Amino acid sequence: MFLSERIGIHAALANPAVTSTRKLVPMALQRTSRSLVAAVGLAATVGLILTGCTNTGTDTKGSSSGSSEQTVKASDGPTCDLATYKGEKIDLKDAVVGFSQSEKEDNPFRIAETQSIKDEAAKVGVKKFISTNAQSTLSKQISDIQDLISQGANVLIVAPLNSDGLEPALSAARAKNIPVITIDRKLNAEACSDYVSFLGSDFVEQGKRAADQLIKGTGGKGKVAILLGASGNGVTTDRTKGFVDEIKAKGSGIEIVAQQTGDFARDKGQSVTEQLLQSNPEITAIYAENDEMGLGAQAAIIAAGKTPGKDIQIYSIDGTKNAVSQIVAGQYNGVIESNPRFGPLAFKTLKSFLAGDPVGQDIIIEDGEYDPDNAASKVDGAF
Amino acid sequence: MTAIEPSAGPASSSQLARERAVGAVQSFGAPIVLVIVVIVASFSFPTFFTATNLTNILLQSSFLLIVGIGMTFVIVTGGIDLSVGSVFALGGVLAAYASQWGWVAALVVPLVVGALIGAIQGALVAWGGMAPFIVTLAGLLAVRGIVLAITNGGSTTPLITDPVLKVIGQGGLAGIEWPVIIGLVLLVIGIVLLTRSRTGQGVVAVGGSENASTLMGLPVARVKMSVYVLSGIMAALAGALNAAYTSSGVPVVGVGMELSAISAVVIGGTLLTGGKGSLIGTLAGVLLLGVIQNIINQVGSLTSSVQSIVSGGFLAVVVIIQTVLSRQQRL
Repeated sequence: MFLSERIGIHAALANPAVTSTRKLVPMALQRTSRSLVAAVGLAATVGLILTGCTNTGTDTKGSSSGSSEQTVKASDGPTCDLATYKGEKIDLKDAVVGFSQSEKEDNPFRIAETQSIKDEAAKVGVKKFISTNAQSTLSKQISDIQDLISQGANVLIVAPLNSDGLEPALSAARAKNIPVITIDRKLNAEACSDYVSFLGSDFVEQGKRAADQLIKGTGGKGKVAILLGASGNGVTTDRTKGFVDEIKAKGSGIEIVAQQTGDFARDKGQSVTEQLLQSNPEITAIYAENDEMGLGAQAAIIAAGKTPGKDIQIYSIDGTKNAVSQIVAGQYNGVIESNPRFGPLAFKTLKSFLAGDPVGQDIIIEDGEYDPDNAASKVDGAF
Repeated sequence: MTAIEPSAGPASSSQLARERAVGAVQSFGAPIVLVIVVIVASFSFPTFFTATNLTNILLQSSFLLIVGIGMTFVIVTGGIDLSVGSVFALGGVLAAYASQWGWVAALVVPLVVGALIGAIQGALVAWGGMAPFIVTLAGLLAVRGIVLAITNGGSTTPLITDPVLKVIGQGGLAGIEWPVIIGLVLLVIGIVLLTRSRTGQGVVAVGGSENASTLMGLPVARVKMSVYVLSGIMAALAGALNAAYTSSGVPVVGVGMELSAISAVVIGGTLLTGGKGSLIGTLAGVLLLGVIQNIINQVGSLTSSVQSIVSGGFLAVVVIIQTVLSRQQRL
């Protein structure tokens, strides 16, 4: 409903990728103008501005090149098949496929995710593809899914906004035996009964791998600040847990000196880092729970007169082109990927499920990682 | 005499008729636009005018309708209540939490807390003489904070298992869900209260002119206080019903709901300056928002940015039509 406009406008005003990137250009130019890296860095940053404007185009190219298609890491748990779910056999080509996206496509992850589902629907050649966007409103996601069902959707792909609260939508699908595949966030509901299966990353593992990268990059010592994601979000909890536990286990020389929320937003990441650098000038590394906050932290470090990537290292999770190209430029240290390109895997799962084959209830995908050694060669595969 | 009468008669009666017609269009502007949009959508989308889809829209709109009823009373007094979205979330969380003591508690606890929040805000506005915008903005922030505080920063979602409460949220009578029935019953009560009762006349009078109302001996402060209490109760009730509907008290619901409610009320022809309002209009405004959203989903290929442009543009058009009509009536 109309409430989403306010959030949208607010986000656009407060977090414009273009303005913050523009701010970076003269700084980056000043600091590294003598080396060859500067040219690369500048080109990358200018590239960012360009991709900021023509995001969708670049993303389509990226996903069609298939360089970073999702691969399944683990799917050894219980399975689900059509008979158990009591669904009807239908060819995907004759099916109306409904997709319910949770958040606005105003960040690289959601843009790439929606685009990937859309592209794959076209590639598979489904009878009709309908997509909706809940714009971060739970009640809208419920009504979106109900609308999709009343429009005759035969299968549903849902990116849940929240782990709880979608019950009315799920029971509407259940009443018509419509298979529901959930992606990127897991529901607190029963697999193969309330929904078919969950496709997504292991967020705890992502946090753990970020910790591994940080321990390796810092040589196992230093003072770290964590920029947390939005509170009340399961992704935040998992990425924090994985990171903190791994530091405790393997990084005895590393001290976590601060944990503050940056709400997954670039501007918030920047302002929080500014404050952190003032109150804890001894910070040597930052772990941001998504790339946007990491890029905000980078801007804050530059503003404080320090060199990101050297004086203060930055590690984050997502794998956006913006962050990975900063690794190439030497101003960022590591990114753990959270692959948003669910299209091919989601449709493959649906296809085998509808054909009557068993599919895993928890399909965990393999996420890549970017470091200074591989970033230059893999940056084109980032989203 | 005989010469004047016929000439004066038709002139004044035709002018009266025209004024009456324009007046009708204005107070029924939103319902008329709603009917037009529904007709157009029915012919454009084969899956629009179906029983499932229409009952879906009704159900989806019922929670906003309940909030909108309270909001209409507040706006008629010339006030505004920005806290409803947060109170909606708090109502849901409290209902889910209290459901462990049965469904009566699950409904009573949110209503009492909603009334209390309304009373505090109302007292500050009525006797403290503070601007409703600021008082209820403070309410929006503080109540959202309370919601986060009692849910562990938003990470805990209390669940509802009480069977009666689930029926209230998800069951229905003759194919119409309980939240819709409750919303419509409250609407009828609201209409009677606003147009046929002394209290309602007091609400309209205070919104029309506070000074005149004071001079007439109306209890202005009490009237103002009572509309915020009503709004708090309605928002909390809507939240509790929404929790029953979703079987859980999700802390993040209701963000920005105050703007949806205000939009619906204004689209419905209630003046933001107060003194004039229509609950039928609010119903039409709420349904319009629901229908527009549904149509966007029927198209099914609009990106989220285009969706925002479409709904924003639509709101602008409706407000322009309202303004033009009310200007004509004044002339």
